[in-house]
Amino acid sequence: MRVTTETKAATRQRILEAAQSLFNRQGFDAATTRDIARAAQIAAGTLFNYFPTKESIAMCLVAEAHAQAVEHFQAGPAQDASEPLSLEEELFAHVAAGLRKLKPYRKYLTAVLDTSLSPLHSDQADGEPSLRVAHLEAVSQIVARHKRDAGPSTVALHLYWTLYTGVLVFWSKDASPRQEETLALLDQSLAMFVGWLSAPTNSTEPPERRG
Amino acid sequence: MPSVAELMDALPESGGELAGRPPGPLPELLEDWALRPVPVGAFRRLRVLGTLQAEVGAAYLFLWLRGWFKDAEENKRLLAETHWRSALRVLDSMSFLRGAAMKAGQMLANFPDIVPQAFVETLERLHFESPPMHWSLLKEMVHNELGHDPEDRFASLDKRAFAAASIGQVHRATLTTGEEVAVKIQYPGIARTIRQDIRNLFFFMLPARLSRDWESTKEQFEDLRIRLERETDYVLEAAMLQRVRSLFREDDGIVVPRVYPEYSTERVLTMDYLQGLTLDEFVATNPSQELRNQFARQILRAWYRMLYAGRLFYADIHPGNFLFLDDGRLGLIDFGFVLELDDTLWEQFRKIDRPQTTGRREDRLAAMKEWHGIGDDPADGERMRLIEQLCDWFWRCRYCGGEFDFGDEADFRRGVDLMLQIGRKRYSRGPACSLVIARQTFGIRSILYRLKAKIDVRPLAEEDIRLTGWDRSDYAFRD
Repeated sequence: MRVTTETKAATRQRILEAAQSLFNRQGFDAATTRDIARAAQIAAGTLFNYFPTKESIAMCLVAEAHAQAVEHFQAGPAQDASEPLSLEEELFAHVAAGLRKLKPYRKYLTAVLDTSLSPLHSDQADGEPSLRVAHLEAVSQIVARHKRDAGPSTVALHLYWTLYTGVLVFWSKDASPRQEETLALLDQSLAMFVGWLSAPTNSTEPPERRG
Repeated sequence: MPSVAELMDALPESGGELAGRPPGPLPELLEDWALRPVPVGAFRRLRVLGTLQAEVGAAYLFLWLRGWFKDAEENKRLLAETHWRSALRVLDSMSFLRGAAMKAGQMLANFPDIVPQAFVETLERLHFESPPMHWSLLKEMVHNELGHDPEDRFASLDKRAFAAASIGQVHRATLTTGEEVAVKIQYPGIARTIRQDIRNLFFFMLPARLSRDWESTKEQFEDLRIRLERETDYVLEAAMLQRVRSLFREDDGIVVPRVYPEYSTERVLTMDYLQGLTLDEFVATNPSQELRNQFARQILRAWYRMLYAGRLFYADIHPGNFLFLDDGRLGLIDFGFVLELDDTLWEQFRKIDRPQTTGRREDRLAAMKEWHGIGDDPADGERMRLIEQLCDWFWRCRYCGGEFDFGDEADFRRGVDLMLQIGRKRYSRGPACSLVIARQTFGIRSILYRLKAKIDVRPLAEEDIRLTGWDRSDYAFRD
């Protein structure tokens, strides 16, 4: 039987839906790929044609939710021209919009953080949509808009990503009511990042030779 | 920016005590501490509040704490100082210090003649200071707490705060049903931080138990802890608002904002917006004596009604609690810390209220001995003398009857001096609510002083005392 592109996409979607429901019901650790395959009504082996690991399924769910958030954020209501948001506020709004979409996946976010979201992870590793690339692109655009130049350097983005993943880790374990402490951490992390961005950087010029 | 020395001079408790003390590690530490910007650590943005008020507040707080163990012997004091250094480090890292400093500042604001006018003005502005939460964060808090974005929940919500609360900020808004409201929003996570910090601080303050009055001090500290915790729970505040609101009738000329429970949670409190002047603004309009008196009567009416009819102490009275409305009504706001008198406290209060208002000295002395646990020990003579004088100062306007000039500077200063002497001598023994009662009475008096009110208090008080059903048939008022 020839598997068409449509069938493939439909199966993939079924796996994702089955996985999401199982993760939510049983928790990420308890749900096995076998359970997911059964719930998606496919053979256990077939699942691996689509996703090499359970983590990659989670990553895909997270990345898709995140992509929606970015899209939603960019298409959001135009800014109030009389009171434009500061860089810090806009970054905050961007991350907060992402957290809202990621909320259903909060508890097993760490599984993804260990792999795809880690600063050690290479973006070219697999064909899945990269949350990191999408997120950092949006951040670059926001920063460029405020700084009126080419945007943040690679180092700045790396620094940002470290802070951002730190917030995500904190969030996935945050036991405070409605994860309010994450908001405080995010607020302070971004204040720190923006403060660092706007601080005069050390001169890279070699020191003048004397004598 | 004032120097530390100037700061110290400006503090009520500095007196000669600090100057006479040989330079040691502690004053240096204090100096270092007071010179730094607001010690709020990572809360960078909170520094918009400026540093002066926080420094004053922090230094004041420190002196207040330090006074607790001044009776200890030298070696014990050294040990205590080591502990204190640790305590200071904890305090230094406390993210809620802004709140504590603000509270201390509010108390200072009630001493207009002791601190230079510039200080008072700075401190006054603390009640209405700029926002530390930006719009994006606020939006998330509203979404978190009320389940919707502000634009979906409210017809409008101002992006800028119009007032600072001790641990949050207040924004104007319009409900979809048209009501103009004030929405108080708390900084995320701060309530939990406060609880944790207070626990740490208490642990480090244990050396203070060396002081003779440690038990009372402990209760007072407990009082501070409860107060900070209560102020972080807006559900409690909303309940209190509704309770106080029910105590007043339309013709009292006193307005308590209505709460909108469906727009309120532990972290968000939505209530009627009241448009009015602050005490400073009102006084600046150069109002007539009649208008000053009218507002003074309403302030007293509010206090007596809450006390006698509601059995409630508006425990943390400061000018920011009152709004002077254009139509002549008085607005009551900020019910973060209202103390409820349970049956035991109520009975205690009845016992002092009566003898204090008969005007008979023997009644007063007997009641005070019981209240403060003072026996016939001659060593207690000084304590008794000061407390009696303070009581007389507090209650004279009540038992004398007739027009009382609250703007009399010499009289006001006498009360201030008595308060300070009692504080300095650590005569804090007594029921836990003594401090609260003293603070409240003093707060009211300093507001009336600034209003320069000239009114007869007794008929006002008697009208509300009737609501208690107490037997007052044998009262012999002294005229």
